[in-house]
Amino acid sequence: MPDAVTELFSAPLTFNWTLSFRCNFSCSHCYSRDESVDELATADILRIVDILVEKQVLFINFGGGEPLIRDDLFEIADYAVGKGLNVSMNSNGWLIDAAVAKRLRASGFHSVGISIDSAEPARHDDFRNRPGSFDRAVAALEHLRKAGVRTTMSSVISRINYCNFRDLLDLARDRRVAQVYLHNFKCSGRGFKNRQDLDLSAEEWKAFYLEALQVKQQTGDLLISFDDPVISSLPGYDEKSLVNGSSCGKLSLHMRPNGDITPCGFIPLVIGNILRDDFETLWYDSPILQKMRNKEASGKCVECGAFEKCLGGCTARAFAVYGDFNQPDPHCWK
Amino acid sequence: MKNLSRNPDIVWRVEKRREAEIIKALDAGEDVSDKGSVILIVSGMMHQLNLVGGRIWTLCDGQRSLDDLVEALSGEFEVERGELTGDVEAFVDDLLKRGWLKYA
Ligand code: SF4
Repeated sequence: MPDAVTELFSAPLTFNWTLSFRCNFSCSHCYSRDESVDELATADILRIVDILVEKQVLFINFGGGEPLIRDDLFEIADYAVGKGLNVSMNSNGWLIDAAVAKRLRASGFHSVGISIDSAEPARHDDFRNRPGSFDRAVAALEHLRKAGVRTTMSSVISRINYCNFRDLLDLARDRRVAQVYLHNFKCSGRGFKNRQDLDLSAEEWKAFYLEALQVKQQTGDLLISFDDPVISSLPGYDEKSLVNGSSCGKLSLHMRPNGDITPCGFIPLVIGNILRDDFETLWYDSPILQKMRNKEASGKCVECGAFEKCLGGCTARAFAVYGDFNQPDPHCWK
Repeated sequence: MKNLSRNPDIVWRVEKRREAEIIKALDAGEDVSDKGSVILIVSGMMHQLNLVGGRIWTLCDGQRSLDDLVEALSGEFEVERGELTGDVEAFVDDLLKRGWLKYA
C-alpha cells in the first residue's frame, strides 16, 4: 500500500549498519552494548551490499559496536565503494592510528565520525569507562585529517555536556572537523537504564535547543546538525525536509549484525531480514513501518500546531518509554 | 559546443517507480510539473527534480552539449522546439549557477 513516503522513495536513502555489537568500550549511554546476535560471514555481507546497490540505497553508515572490531571492514568498504555506495562510519577512535587512517582513506570512506562526549578529557574518559579514550579520539581525528579523510564529530547530548556544548564545537573547530552532530539522547539499551542520571528534563531540552539553534545560525565555519524532530516547533528552526517527523523508516533503516532490519538502531522491532525476505515487501508493506509513517496525534499532540512538522517527535523515544509510537515524545516541553 | 556534467559531490538517484507513475499521469493529460522523480542530496540537503528536470540531469553525463540535450528531449516530450530550447537553457543556467552542473 503506497503512503506519502513510499510514493516518492522506493527504498531508504541510508542504511545505518551495525556490523557487530562487539566493542572495545563500555559506555554509559550505549544503545547496543547489552545486545548480542550472530554475525554474518563476509560473503553474506557482500551479498547484502549487492542488494542495497540493486535497491538504489545511496549511503551506508557503519556503526556499532565498534566497526573496526571486524577485521573485514576494509574489504567490505572497498567492495561497497567499488559498487558506487557512499560509505561512512562512526567510531570511538581508539583503533585509528596513522596506518588505519590511511587504510580508511584508501578504502574510499566518504567520512569518518568520531564520538566525543565532552571537551574535558577526564569527563569523556569517565563516561566512556576508558582512561585515555579522549586523547585517542582526538588523535584519531588528527590521523584522519592528515590522511585526507573528511571527519565529523558525534556528541550525544546528556547531563554531562549540555551546558558546555560550545566547548565541543570549539574542539571540533580546533581539530578542523567538517561537521558536528549533536545527537539527542535516546532512551534505549544502557541509555534507558541510565536515563535518570543522563537525560535532561523536557524544559532543559527546550533551553538547550533554543541556544543551540541560535549558535547554529551564527556559525559559518562549522556545520552543526541535530536529528531531533521535536525541535520543529521552535523559532529558528527552518530546515526543509522532504519528510516530516522522525526520518527513521522513511529516509533510513537500520541493519543488525545478522541482517535483521529495524526502523532505526533505537527501536528494537525487527521488520524482517535482508537475506531471507523480499526487501520491497518489507519496505512497502511492513506494518511497523506503515505505523511509523502514518502516526496519529495523541495526548497533547492533538491540539499542537506543530504536529504536521513534528509528528509527535522522536518515535523511538515514545516507544521506549510508553511502548506506543503515537505517544508524544517524552522530551517534548509543550 | 561544450558538454555538461554533474557535480560529482552530488549524490542522486532516479525514483524509477515514481517516474513511471508520473509518465502515466502525463500521458493522461495531468500537470506533473511539481512532481519529483529524481532525488539529489546536495551538502546533506535533499532536493527533487521533476520529470523534465530529472531527464536533463540524467543526460548531463559529460558526453552531451546543450544542443544534444534538446535533441534528446524533443524525442521524449511533445513540446514546440523553441519553447523546449528556452526551458532547457533556463534550467541548465539555474543549475550552473548553483554549481550543480558544470561545463566539462
Ligand atoms: S505536542 Fe506533540 S506535536 Fe507538539 S511539539 Fe510536542 S511532540 Fe511535537
